[in-house]
Amino acid sequence: MGNASPRLGTAEIQSPVLDPQMAWQPLPATQWDENAARHLLRRAAWTAQPDDVTRAIQEGLPATLARLFPAAPVAFPKPKLITTLQEDTPDFAQRVRATLPEEKRLLQKEARDRSQQALFDLAIRWLQFAALPEHSAAEKWTLFLSDVFVVSSEKVRNAALVCNHFETLRNHSFGPAPTLTKAVSRSPAMVQYLDLQESRRNAPNENFARELFELFLVGESNYTEKDIKEAAKAFTGYRQRFGEFNFVPNQHDPGHKTVFGHTGNFTGDQVIDLAYQLPAAGAFLPGEMARFYLSDEPLPKDLLASIGTWWREQGYSLQALTHRFFGSRLFFDLSYRANYIKSPVQLYLGLVQDLQLDVPPLPRRVLGSFRQMGQTLFAPPNVRGWVGGRNWINASTLNARRLLVQSLFSPINEANLNADELAEIANVRATGHDHFSMEPERLKSFSGLTAEQLADRLIDSFLPTKVDDSFRREVRQFLADDSQFKRPIDRIRNAAVTLLQSPEYQLC
Amino acid sequence: MAYAPRPLNNHPGKKLAVKNSAHLFPSTRREFLRLTGSGIGLLAFSQFAPRFLIQSALAETPAPEKDRSILVLVQLAGGNDGLNTLIPFEDANYYRLRPTLGIPKDQVLRLNDTLGLHPACTELHALAHDGKLGIVQNVGYPNPNRSHFRSTDIWETSSDSDQILSTGWLGRFLDNTCPGAPADPADPAAVHLSNEVPGAFLSAQSHPTFGLNLNQFNRRDNPQNLAFLESLVHHDHPGNASASFLQQTMMDALVTEKRVQHVLSSYQTAAKYPGNPFAQSLRNVVALIAAGLSTRVYFVSLGGFDTHANQLNQHQNLMRTLSEGLATFQKDLETHKLAGQVLTMTFSEFGRRPLENESHGTDHGTAAPLFVMGSRIKGGLHGTPPSLQFERNQDLTFSTDFRQVYATVLDRWLQCPAMQVLGKSYEPVAFI
Repeated sequence: MGNASPRLGTAEIQSPVLDPQMAWQPLPATQWDENAARHLLRRAAWTAQPDDVTRAIQEGLPATLARLFPAAPVAFPKPKLITTLQEDTPDFAQRVRATLPEEKRLLQKEARDRSQQALFDLAIRWLQFAALPEHSAAEKWTLFLSDVFVVSSEKVRNAALVCNHFETLRNHSFGPAPTLTKAVSRSPAMVQYLDLQESRRNAPNENFARELFELFLVGESNYTEKDIKEAAKAFTGYRQRFGEFNFVPNQHDPGHKTVFGHTGNFTGDQVIDLAYQLPAAGAFLPGEMARFYLSDEPLPKDLLASIGTWWREQGYSLQALTHRFFGSRLFFDLSYRANYIKSPVQLYLGLVQDLQLDVPPLPRRVLGSFRQMGQTLFAPPNVRGWVGGRNWINASTLNARRLLVQSLFSPINEANLNADELAEIANVRATGHDHFSMEPERLKSFSGLTAEQLADRLIDSFLPTKVDDSFRREVRQFLADDSQFKRPIDRIRNAAVTLLQSPEYQLC
Repeated sequence: MAYAPRPLNNHPGKKLAVKNSAHLFPSTRREFLRLTGSGIGLLAFSQFAPRFLIQSALAETPAPEKDRSILVLVQLAGGNDGLNTLIPFEDANYYRLRPTLGIPKDQVLRLNDTLGLHPACTELHALAHDGKLGIVQNVGYPNPNRSHFRSTDIWETSSDSDQILSTGWLGRFLDNTCPGAPADPADPAAVHLSNEVPGAFLSAQSHPTFGLNLNQFNRRDNPQNLAFLESLVHHDHPGNASASFLQQTMMDALVTEKRVQHVLSSYQTAAKYPGNPFAQSLRNVVALIAAGLSTRVYFVSLGGFDTHANQLNQHQNLMRTLSEGLATFQKDLETHKLAGQVLTMTFSEFGRRPLENESHGTDHGTAAPLFVMGSRIKGGLHGTPPSLQFERNQDLTFSTDFRQVYATVLDRWLQCPAMQVLGKSYEPVAFI
């Protein structure tokens, strides 16, 4: 083969060479400065607002971590549409059974529509909840867990199950990981999503067991095809009925299974415990965290092995893991600053916080933009979840990101809303949370500033990256140039829009 | 904090002087990004730089240019059930393995005395009759992997089962096209109609690729902002690979976007495409080809083939969507007298288990047939069918390596030395 042959080999590692023990040591207090605080807030939550940075500096790193990753997160209030959907499910199933075939179809369509509506409502309410700074880090963590323990509304097809799955993740989000994993194996959405529902004593379905090992727990190459086949037997009998977990003993295979070299009459829980005995289980989730929070480049194996060993010794406490990870020298290493691409959810919620906006109760407007950016909430493309990082970006998703920014600077045209939407708007208006777009008045406070001051203010508050002087100069020129836009306020608006559309704002 | 200094050859002049030393060129996309991040300068590798600057010792395949052969790759994502796509209706083993999912003999669309297509593939069946559809049987690779992601990687990077490659087979094809004079600098080298950039496109060098989603052409930028954004995008971020990546993608996008928007909105066709997104994507492919884009590679994806449970209806719908979509596409190409330029080929990460499961579905399997379509191909059946004589719940053993299919497409259709892209030589399949 000549020079042109494809280069074979594994991915290049770009991370700093840190001693595996040293890497996970806490950041020395002397290095906890404003830049470090911004980095933590942008990576662990959605953005770094000046007040939050000040507070984090005053409190110190350990107290900030304790606040961002508490023992138990604030509960997300279950939306009413979800509750009624859930309550009506058994009744609905009965009605479907009792009707004639042609009416059955209509009833089923009605059920789908209701679920779809409840799902839209859930997405909006979750965005509203997660947009509050005090919930941001915990909800981003829940989103992370949902990107590991993936279900998709497209297959589950019942918004109540999806909502409950997120509730399960949130309830166990800072406890021991094995407890979380066991709860996930009983999550009705998961039972449905990975076909446990179809798995039978004499015909175990392998889908759940495979993804449990490959994508939830230990990762590829740490199990055999035989481990999967045997583990699948342990999860037979796991069913869901009307959205509740339901163990069916006569569909469960109580016989001997050999998993990871151990033989016994294992239950599903015992198989999960066996997997957590493998060193690979300790290293797996930290590796997923690095992928979700830190870098496109996988961390070197020895670094993951080192935190994995430590984490096993902590009884797999998820809270301890977050504090260790987000407080480490490695996390704050300068090679990880301002170079990770925001997910669409982070871009949106970061914009909402940076511009101090409210999430409008308008699914059509808000959720359409998520689909175009490549992240339909509650419907990841497949069981691996969203790959993230540079995979978010291509020509069309970048266009969608630009469109989103424009839409946040354009007032909602109420003439285009239907009656339900108008009613929703009226409801939130009554609570005062109705700043849905950047109206010109909100920019008025800037109009007394010089072009220099304005450029610095916009660049420094929006962009995580350092920009060179010529960049700054160009922003100043745009703000000073009255040949295109006569009114200063129009120049400010357009400068802000463009900076928020820039490649730099896509980073955190 | 300790950093390992990384030896970098980041002097552009030097790089150009030793033109034939492959190791001085970035060999992976990551390496490219790291290099650009460390001083070579992003523009040196983008379409905005004079192409001669980045000429390398790679094979001199004709550059993208109007009237060159075009490949449309159709991904059937999730693992298509090969046994219910090309059905061995005379094999008693088939009906033994598929007690509830087996397609009754009298419904199969016959291709010969023993094999036929799924009953929902009427349009494809007609194309096969006209010699425009070829079916390569039982395609796979040794030591098959049953993970969706790993097996998709294997197909997309064209690697061995135990080998990790960081570039895709089409990306390496693009790496091997000689720069020449681009027909139109605003044309992407490859276009994907899927949310994510396909792994098959990943390349050592940077090529302008473009992703196209439906429902995305309703924006109105004001021209002043666009000009301002274009000027901001030209500022480099040395050492920040993600920033360079974003910057380059946005530059490419801004240029291509204007052109593609224009093409799709002005496209007129008499062909009646079904309303589903797959068919609409194919319609857009014809629009771009008909507009004379110099793009030579298109990637379209149809998902939903992971049929673990209650497969019968799902698979029937998928087969219908595929068949109607491909046939309309082919007819539209013929109307525009473009059919001679285009080869369409399907692939799926694996077939499914021959023995159906107890959920009336099928689990992850191995080899499966794939389709090739075009007016200049040799239609009909190629390769040999799998044997179904085995113990309970075993998998098929492939008889044609998927890289033989790639080699055929590269050598005989894209006129690119397959050896350069695949690293080894493979016996071609007779469909071209």
